[in-house]
Amino acid sequence: MKKRTTYLFAFIIANLLSLATLAQSTTITGIIVNQVNNESISAVSITIKGGETGTFSDDRGNFKITVTQKLPITLLVSSVGYGLQEVVIASAAKPVTVKLAPANTLGQDVVVSASRVAQKILESPVSIERISAANIRNAPAANFYDIVTTLKGVDVTTSSLTFKTPTTRGFGGSGNVRFNQLVDGMDNQAPGLNFSVGAIVGLNELDVDNIELLSGASSALYGPGGMNGTMLMTSKNPFKYQGLSFTVKEGIMHTDQSERPASPYHNWALRWAQKVSEKFAFKITTELLQAKDWIGTDMRDYDRSNGKLRAGTRATDPNYDGVNVYGDETTADIRQVLNGVAGQAPFLAPFISTLTTKPINVSRTGYTEQQILNPNTVNFKLGGSFNYKITPGTEAILAAYWGTGNTVYTGASRYSIKDFKMGQYKFELNNKNWMLRAYTTQENAGESYNLGATTQNFNEAWKPSGGSTGWYAQYGQSFLAAKLAGATDFDAHTAARATADVGRPEVGSTEFNDIYNRIRKLPVPKGGALLDRSDLYGVEGNYNLSSVTKSVADIIVGANYKKYVLNSQGTLFADTAGVIGISEIGAFIQASRAITNNLKLTASARYDKNENFKGRFTPRVTAVIKVGENSNIRLSYQTAYRFPSTQMQWINLDLVSYKLIGGNAAFKNIYHFDTNPAYDRDSLKNGKTVQQNFSTLKPEAISSFEAGYKGLIIDSKLLLDIYGYYGQYTDFLARRVVVQSRTGAPIKPSDADAGQIYSVPINSTSKVKTYGFGIGLDYKIVANYALSVNAASDNLTDVPTNFIASFNSPKYKVNATFANTGFGKNKRMGFAVAYRWQDAFYFEGDLANGNLPSVQTVDAQVSYKLPKTKSIIKLGANNLLNQYYYNAVGNSLIGGLYYLSFGYNIY
Amino acid sequence: MKYINNKIKIHLLLVVSIMVILSSCNKAVEQFTELAVVAPTGKALGETIAATPTDNLYYKLIVKAGLEATINNKATTFTMFVPDNNAMKIFINAISGGQVPLAAPDVVFIGFIDTYIPAATAAGIVSYNICGQSLLSANIPATFPNFQYPTILNPAPSVSALLRLTTFPSTRNGAWLNTGPITAVDLLAANGVIHHTAFVTTPPQRFLWDRISTDTALTYLKAAINRADSGTTAPGTLQGALLNIGANLTVFAPTDAAFKALLTGAIYKALLPIVIQQLTAAYIAGGMPPANAAAMAITNAPPIAIGQAKALSAAPTVFSNPALFGALSAQTVKGIVVYHLFGNRAFTNNFPTTTTYYPTLLNGGIPTHPGIGLTATFGVPFVTAATVKGVGNSTASNIIINVSPLIPDPKGTSDQHYLNGVLHKIDQVLLPQ
Repeated sequence: MKKRTTYLFAFIIANLLSLATLAQSTTITGIIVNQVNNESISAVSITIKGGETGTFSDDRGNFKITVTQKLPITLLVSSVGYGLQEVVIASAAKPVTVKLAPANTLGQDVVVSASRVAQKILESPVSIERISAANIRNAPAANFYDIVTTLKGVDVTTSSLTFKTPTTRGFGGSGNVRFNQLVDGMDNQAPGLNFSVGAIVGLNELDVDNIELLSGASSALYGPGGMNGTMLMTSKNPFKYQGLSFTVKEGIMHTDQSERPASPYHNWALRWAQKVSEKFAFKITTELLQAKDWIGTDMRDYDRSNGKLRAGTRATDPNYDGVNVYGDETTADIRQVLNGVAGQAPFLAPFISTLTTKPINVSRTGYTEQQILNPNTVNFKLGGSFNYKITPGTEAILAAYWGTGNTVYTGASRYSIKDFKMGQYKFELNNKNWMLRAYTTQENAGESYNLGATTQNFNEAWKPSGGSTGWYAQYGQSFLAAKLAGATDFDAHTAARATADVGRPEVGSTEFNDIYNRIRKLPVPKGGALLDRSDLYGVEGNYNLSSVTKSVADIIVGANYKKYVLNSQGTLFADTAGVIGISEIGAFIQASRAITNNLKLTASARYDKNENFKGRFTPRVTAVIKVGENSNIRLSYQTAYRFPSTQMQWINLDLVSYKLIGGNAAFKNIYHFDTNPAYDRDSLKNGKTVQQNFSTLKPEAISSFEAGYKGLIIDSKLLLDIYGYYGQYTDFLARRVVVQSRTGAPIKPSDADAGQIYSVPINSTSKVKTYGFGIGLDYKIVANYALSVNAASDNLTDVPTNFIASFNSPKYKVNATFANTGFGKNKRMGFAVAYRWQDAFYFEGDLANGNLPSVQTVDAQVSYKLPKTKSIIKLGANNLLNQYYYNAVGNSLIGGLYYLSFGYNIY
Repeated sequence: MKYINNKIKIHLLLVVSIMVILSSCNKAVEQFTELAVVAPTGKALGETIAATPTDNLYYKLIVKAGLEATINNKATTFTMFVPDNNAMKIFINAISGGQVPLAAPDVVFIGFIDTYIPAATAAGIVSYNICGQSLLSANIPATFPNFQYPTILNPAPSVSALLRLTTFPSTRNGAWLNTGPITAVDLLAANGVIHHTAFVTTPPQRFLWDRISTDTALTYLKAAINRADSGTTAPGTLQGALLNIGANLTVFAPTDAAFKALLTGAIYKALLPIVIQQLTAAYIAGGMPPANAAAMAITNAPPIAIGQAKALSAAPTVFSNPALFGALSAQTVKGIVVYHLFGNRAFTNNFPTTTTYYPTLLNGGIPTHPGIGLTATFGVPFVTAATVKGVGNSTASNIIINVSPLIPDPKGTSDQHYLNGVLHKIDQVLLPQ
C-alpha cells in the first residue's frame, strides 16, 4: 500500500512539474467586442491554436496573453452565444480588437456531467438539462435555484423561502435522498440531516457558471444516491470571470397581508474575482438574504395514527391534531382518568362506565406555526477560492463555501433551522486529463429545533400531562363533571379544555418566552433541539486515459472514498454512546468509442461498498445515434442504487405518537424486538398478526431504460427534446408502520392503537416500476423572442399495499416560458414570463399525507440593460398573481414575491 | 418586419393573458366537512313539563327550585324523574302532616309549594330527580344489584365537584326509582327524556350510622359495631364506613329484640354447664351423694342459667362486659356484623322473588362463603314481605316491612334510604354458620 502511494505521489509531482520550456515570450493585448453593438464582452476564451496557452477577457473585455511562439500566431476566440473566430496576430505592437458576431445558441451548450467529458448537449447520451449564467440573467426568478422548477421533468418541494428541494422522476420532499446535489463536485447533502442545502449553503447567484441536471439514474458516474437524478452546480472560475459584481435586490412579500403585514425582502450578493497573474487568481463571494418567511398555515385535522387528514377543528375534535399546529401531537385516552375516578368514587362508576365504552382520545392544546415560529429568514453565504495554475494545464483550487442562517425544513415535523451552519471545504487539482479532490462537509445544526417536540415539551414544562393534578387529570375530571351536569360531549370537552388550559401561557408573554426558549434549546427528547454536528469527508479522483487508449476507446477511470461521522448526541440518531462512522468506497471506469460516424457507444461500470452493506455493481450502457446534423437519438440502460441514508440506518426519533427508527440491526436490541416482536399495524387492525421480520436492509437499486431524441429542426430554430423511460426498482426502500406490545404480552388487536408504534425502514420484495416521458420545445422566433414549452409525466406502479412510497410527483406537469432577451431601443429591454402547471396528486410525507390540488403559477420579469457597466435593472415577480399554493402537505403556502434588482457587472 | 413584430406582440399578450387567467384558477386545498350538529328541536324538558297539566305541581316545584332554565337549556341532556300531580299531592300531604288534604284543590298545593317549601329544599328534590344524559327505559337495567346513577345534586360542592347523590333506577320487578314506582316512561323532550313516578323521591339526608346510632330499637347493633371496631382505628372501622358518603351499603339491622334473643340463648348455652357444675359441687358439699347431686343440678340449673343469661343480655352493654369478651371477641362480633352488610344498595323492590344468595362484606374475609339469601314477595305494586336468610339460621329472618309504603327516615323499618346506603330492620340476627 505504501509503495503504491509513493508511485501515485511521484506521478502527480511529475505532472505538476512538467513545465513548458521557457523561451522568449511575447505579450499580446486586446479587447473583445460585440460586432453588432460594440459592447465589450467578458469571459471570452482566447487560446492559441495548437497550443495549451489560453486566457479570458476580463470584465471590461480586455485580455492579455503571453506566448512563447514566434509571430504570427492564430488566436481562437470563443464565447457562448457567439461564433468562433480565428484571429491571426502578426504583431504585438498594438492592441488587437476582436469583433465577435452573435450566433444562434440553440442546442450549442456544452455539458460535462453526462459523460464526465465535455460534449455538446445535443450529443449527450442521457437526458440532461442545463442552466447557464445567461439563462439566470434573464430568468423570471428571484433566486437562481428557482429556475430549476422550469426545467423539463423537475419537481421542486418548497418548505420555505430558502429551503427548496428539486427532484426528477418522483420522490419529491424536503429531504430527498434519491437526488444528488453537487456543488463544484462536492456532495452538498448535510450529512446528518440528509437534505441538500444548495440553496442556503453553496453558490451565490453571481458565482454560478452553470447548472447541469441529469434526470434519472446516475450512480454509474456519481456513485450512491442519484437514483432519480443529479444536479451539478459549477461556480465561475476567477481566471475566467473577473472583476467586481454585485446585485441589490429589494422586494416585498405578503402583499395581501393574509399571514402577516407586507414585509420587505432583501437580497444582496457580491462577487469579486481577481486574476493576480497568469498563475494565480482568487474570488470572494458573499450573499445576504433577509425576509419574513412564509409559514405553514394548514389547520386541517390530521389523524396521525392512520396517516390521513380528517374533518375537525380544535373546537370540534377533542383529539384535534392540526397539520401546522404543534404540541397537539400529545394525545391520551382520558378513560384512564375516568376509570381512576371510578375507582376512587364508586358511586360514579356505573355512570362512568357508560362514557367509557370506546376510547376518548384527547390531545393537548397546541400552538400554531404562526404563533411559535420566528418568520425572520436570514441566509448569509460566504465563499471563495484560491486558484493557482501549477502549469498551464494544471490548476490547484482551494475553495470554501460556508453558510449560516435560519430557514424552515419539513421532516417528521416542521423544523426551525436556526443558526444553522455548514461549511464545505475542498482542495482540488485539475488537469484536462485528471482530477483529484479532497473535501469535507462540516455541519452544525446550531439552535435548530423540532417545532413539534419543542411545543410538546413546552406543554409538559408548563403543566405535565400526567399525574393526579396534571393536565389530563384536570381535563378528565372537568369532562366528567360536565357530563354529570348533562353537558353534551362537545360542551363537556370544551369545558374540560378550558379548565385544563387555565393559566396556559399566552404567546409572547414573558412566561411563554421563558419556557419556550428554555425548552427549544434542550435536546430531544426533553426539549426540541437537534444537536447535530455530523461531518462528511470525501476524497475522489479520476483520470482520462484517452490520450493513451484513443485508438481503442476513450477511457476514464475514477475512485472515491467517503466517510460520514454522525454526531447528534442521541437527539437524532442512536448515538448516545458516541459518534457513528459510516465509510463508503467506490471506483468506476467508462469507455466510449465512436463505432461509426453516426454511432457512439459508451459503457460505464461502477462498484461501491458501504461498510454496513454488501458491495454494489452498477453498469451503464449508452448509445448516441446521429440521424442528421444536430439531430441525435440516444438510448441508454442505466442502473443506480442508494445505500439507505444515514437517517434510514440510524435515526432514533421519538415523535410521541410513534417512533421513527432506523434499520440498523442494533435497533433489535434497543427495542427488544427479538423478545417482544413487532407486528404490521394495518394487518393487526384487520385482525391478522403479521410479525415484522427485521431482516438486514439492502441498498435500493433501479434499472432504467431510456430512449430519447434531441435535435434542431426548422432551420435550427426549434430544439426538440423528447424522452421516455421505464425503470424497475428492486429492494425498494420504504417505511412500514409496525406496533409492539407495551407490556411484552402477546400482541392483541387493541394494540394497533394502544401499543408502541414504530415507523421502520424496509425493503420491498416486489418489483416497483416507474415510467414516464418528457418533451421539450425551445423555439427561437425572431427578434430575440423565444418560446419554451415542456411537459413531463412520471409514474410509479406496483407499489405494495401498506407501503409508504412517498413518490410525490404529479402525473403531469407543464412549463411554458415566453421571453425576449433584447428588444426596444438598442435592445436594452428584456422580459420573461414563465408559467407552470402541475397536476393534483396524493402527497405522502413524514409530517402528513394528503391530496395536493393542481397548481398553476406565473413568474415574470422585465429588465433594462445598462451596457456600459454591464448592469441590469430587473423588475420581477415570483408567483405574480399571489395565488398561494403549496407542494407538500404541511409546507408553507407560497405567495407572491415582487422585487426590483440592480445588478452590476453581470455576465 | 414591423408587421411581424406586431404579430409577435399580439401573440405575446395572448400567451401571457392565458397564463395569467389559468394561474388565477388555483384550487384551494382540500377541505373536509364535518357532519353538521343538528340543533335539537321541539320543547325542552321544562317546557314539556310545563305543558303537561298533570305535571303542573311539579313544575311549580321546579320553578321554586329555580331550575327551569337549567332543564330548558337545549345544550344539555338530562333524564328527569317527574312525580305527577298525584304523587305531589301525596308528598305534600305527608310533609304537611296531613294539613293539606289529598282532596284539596290544586291551588292549595301550589300555595303550599310557594309558601312552605324552601327553595333549597325544592332544588334538592328536583336536582335529585335529574340525571345527566338521556336514559331511556330500555337502557335502565334489570340486574341486581341495581344501577347506581348519579344525579345532578352535589351535596358538598366545596369537597369535590364530582360528588353526587345517586339514584337507583331499575326495571327489575317493574320499573322503579329507588323505591318509588315509575308509572310512565320515555316521554321525549328536545334535550332529554322524562319518566313519571308515582311518588316524590327525596334525597337522603343522613348517614346510615346516624340512624343506627340514634334508633332506640337498634342499640344492640350500635353496641355490636362499637365492639367490632374496638382495637381498630378509623378509617378502617365499620362506623367509619357507615359514615362514609362514598360507601354504598345495605344494612340488615337486627332489632334489639333479635339481638336479645340470640344473646340470651347463646349465653344460656354457655352458662348451663357451668351452673350445673357449680350446683353439683354445692350439693355434694352439702352432703348429697354425687349421683343424686348431679341429677338434681341438671334439673335445677336451667332456670338459674336462663335467669343469668337474661340478665347479662338485658342491655347493649353485653358487648362491653369484660366477662364475656371471650365469647364476644371483637373479631367474632365483627364477623357477625359484616354478615349483615351487603356491599350494594338493595331496596326490597329489587330483591329476587325466589331466594337467591348474595355475598356480604364477610366474603371479603371468606370469599367462598355463600352469603345471604334474599327473597321478596310482591303485592301490587309494593313488597308485602321480604326475608333474608343467614346460612346458620334455621329460618329466614323477616325484614320488618313498613306499615305503609315509603315511610321515610327515621320512622320506617324497611327501605330506609341514607346518603351511603339503605337499611332494613330484621327480626333475627343472621348467623354466618
